[in-house]
Amino acid sequence: MWIGVWLAALGLALGIALGLNLPFTVPQAYAKYMSVAVLAAMDSVFGGIRAAMEEHYDNRIFITGFFSNALLAAGLAFIGERLGIDLYLAAVVAFGVRLFQNLAIIRRHLLKK
Amino acid sequence: MTKKSMNISIAIITMILGVMLAIQFRTNRYLEQGVTADRAQEMVAELSRLESDNRKFDKEIDDLTYKLEQARKGQTQARDAILDELKKAKMSAGLTSVTGPGIEVVLDNPDSSPGIFIRDEYLLKIANELKGAGAEAISVNGQRLIATSEIRLAGSFININLDRTEPPFQILAIGNPEKLKSSLEISGGLVDYFKELGIAVKTQTHSSITIPGYNKDLRYDYAKAVKG
Repeated sequence: MWIGVWLAALGLALGIALGLNLPFTVPQAYAKYMSVAVLAAMDSVFGGIRAAMEEHYDNRIFITGFFSNALLAAGLAFIGERLGIDLYLAAVVAFGVRLFQNLAIIRRHLLKK
Repeated sequence: MTKKSMNISIAIITMILGVMLAIQFRTNRYLEQGVTADRAQEMVAELSRLESDNRKFDKEIDDLTYKLEQARKGQTQARDAILDELKKAKMSAGLTSVTGPGIEVVLDNPDSSPGIFIRDEYLLKIANELKGAGAEAISVNGQRLIATSEIRLAGSFININLDRTEPPFQILAIGNPEKLKSSLEISGGLVDYFKELGIAVKTQTHSSITIPGYNKDLRYDYAKAVKG
């Protein structure tokens, strides 16, 4: 379990270091979609950690969930923009709520131990 | 096995998440430094509006420059006409030096008979005769005869344009030389008359003589132009 957490932290640090050094930024017009995608991805990761703690982690669900959530969130925001509806707000709210829920559950699992 | 694959996939996924986070972070920081898309669009619209304004004003400048040019041309023409008129008026008034064919008459007191001297009337008579013969400009000893010129005896001098002159008198007149000469030398004319008096008279035609302009101020202290 703790190896997984350390690996996750290591992966995150590596990814941030990599991202900070990549010579590339998202075009301004797509920054909004990227932000929603990041939120969805964070939710997925915390969901994965929670699932691991609840001992019903499924690798396939985790990986597909990560990508599909991110893409779906960005796609929803994109379509919402085209339709004149701020759908990305819905994504922010939904993923935000889930994120906090996941965090709360992870906290509880950690405290229970 | 599943534990291991779980750890690996979580590590990979968190790495991807890290990359996304970092990119998003940098993008956001870049956005804060730069201008937002809305603002950029606004400014592009503003720019195109200003450019079209600029074009419009350029056109206006061209138009106004053209008008100004026309006005200036008109003004120049008007000024030229006025200057031309002024030149003519000055010439008519005798203020400018003039040149042309004419006659020179020299009158001198006779050396032999000191009792006889040239009187102002003689000069007046000559001037009158020359004017009658179509003289366009007359001067006596360099003094241009104009509308206000006087020729009068003042003591032993003759004043012309308030200037003292003495014999010999050199009278210059521009006009048809032959006509001027014959008007004076006609038999029984002035030349004969002066010769009878014993005054030395010499007339000579010239193809080109220059008569100076009136060189004093024309003063009008009392006379005023009547409008209309």
